[in-house]
Amino acid sequence: MTSPVLAATGLVKRFGGFTANDGVDIAVGAGEVRGIIGPNGAGKTTLVNMITGVERPNAGEILLGGAPIGGLAPDAIAARGLVRSFQVARVFGDMSLVENLLVPYLARRGRLAEGEARARDLIGRANLARLADAPAKTLSGGQRVLLQVAAGFMCPQLSVYVLDEPFAGVNPVIKDTILDLIATERRERNVTFVVVSHEMDIMRRLCDRITVMVEGRVLLEGTLEEVASDPRVVAAYLGKPLR
Amino acid sequence: MFSAELFTQSLIAGIVIGIIYALMALGITFIYSIVKMINWAMGEFYMLGSFVQYFLVVGLLGPDLWWVAALLSAAAVFLVGWLIEPVLIKPMFTGGIERRDDYATVVTIALLLLMRNLATALNGPYQRSPGTNLGTVMLGPLPESGARLAAALCALAAMVLFWVLLKKTWLGLALRASSQSRVGVQIAGVDILRLDQVAFGIGVGLAGVAGALLAPVFLVFPTNGVVTTTKGFEIIVIGGLGSIPGAVVAGILLGVAESLGAAFISSPYQNAYGFVLLLAVLLIKPSGLFGERMRHA
Repeated sequence: MTSPVLAATGLVKRFGGFTANDGVDIAVGAGEVRGIIGPNGAGKTTLVNMITGVERPNAGEILLGGAPIGGLAPDAIAARGLVRSFQVARVFGDMSLVENLLVPYLARRGRLAEGEARARDLIGRANLARLADAPAKTLSGGQRVLLQVAAGFMCPQLSVYVLDEPFAGVNPVIKDTILDLIATERRERNVTFVVVSHEMDIMRRLCDRITVMVEGRVLLEGTLEEVASDPRVVAAYLGKPLR
Repeated sequence: MFSAELFTQSLIAGIVIGIIYALMALGITFIYSIVKMINWAMGEFYMLGSFVQYFLVVGLLGPDLWWVAALLSAAAVFLVGWLIEPVLIKPMFTGGIERRDDYATVVTIALLLLMRNLATALNGPYQRSPGTNLGTVMLGPLPESGARLAAALCALAAMVLFWVLLKKTWLGLALRASSQSRVGVQIAGVDILRLDQVAFGIGVGLAGVAGALLAPVFLVFPTNGVVTTTKGFEIIVIGGLGSIPGAVVAGILLGVAESLGAAFISSPYQNAYGFVLLLAVLLIKPSGLFGERMRHA
């Protein structure tokens, strides 16, 4: 791997007496799709929150393209090209789908006409064209996730996209649509992805490498086949070997 | 005694004053929906607007240029709000404050006391009026005070401008988005704290416009914001907190209720009719006419 686009070293996050992340190191190369797996409570979302500025680390360093971003506000981090989605989709319910997608675009001083064209193209690729001008609150849970994933792609300077459980509670058709969007943006813009998910089939199709977290630490890192055959991963997370 | 003429006249007078009340309520509800706080010092920004208007008209521009003075008053009040916000309101989000509602209540009530007493110290207890050259206007057979009518038309214009800002501009898009999800706009790359600052300025600016427009109608004195603030909050509860159409509709309803009550029931109780309306709405629809039931996420 050449120099990583996203690198975190020694990240620590404590909530009162509980240490959610206890010295986490992770390095993701440009254009890579990195999966993060681990049992509930392993600290995956805490890690994502620190990387994206939602939580402030107690210790450790985060570098994006070599520049430190630890402790910056989420909007400042998004401005540097690191964008995230939330497990519970945050959409602007009273605004149309197109308007929802314009917010991240215009925040970066994009042009309105270009932004709208781009938003409609993306909504089309997300198979939501029929609903483009409907308020987002009319969407189903799965469609909201899709809209939120699409919103990240509107960020003009997107370099790293962190997706927190984008496949949870989503039907298979929408899962495939999300995978298509990821593949296209990766191919066309060389976007790097960090994906947190429990869906092992999807992670096998999607990710170059997997980082396994257990109890606030990185247990190991490797291809899905490598980590899935590790007895510690089977014991702590998978329960039984993957076939 | 019921007369159709008196009824029409009272109705028009009520709508006229209601539109200006609505401006005040709009400011309260707008700040609430973006910054998620109640600004209890709203009436003091109204007072500030009326004083700026008074001094501009009396000292500088003369009563014929009242509309220029009103624009300048609005800008001045916006600026004061914009400067105060980072000092007083912003720490609500950046200072590690756990009970934000309590914090906002305490600082805005402190601000209210400061502004009111500062005005009393500087102005004395005197009641002033900038005067007006606008005579009585006949609406058909019915007379209406020119200053009131002009104030209502300008208030209407301010509302249209506000609506255009919200619906047609990038700032409006960001403001509408942040009223729905503060975290959502942040991850979209919007600096929510700067947005708060602008929203606070615009919200108090609306109160400032109301103060400037009503300066020749009601009097200008350090506590003249008290009654309008009360009306503003009545309107918010009637219309539904956080609802912009609710603020406009309820503002006009309140104006009409007061005006008709004063004409046909008893005029000394003018300020009480709004509360009757308020109680009726609370009995029938406690979330307000346009309010949605609150859900905390």
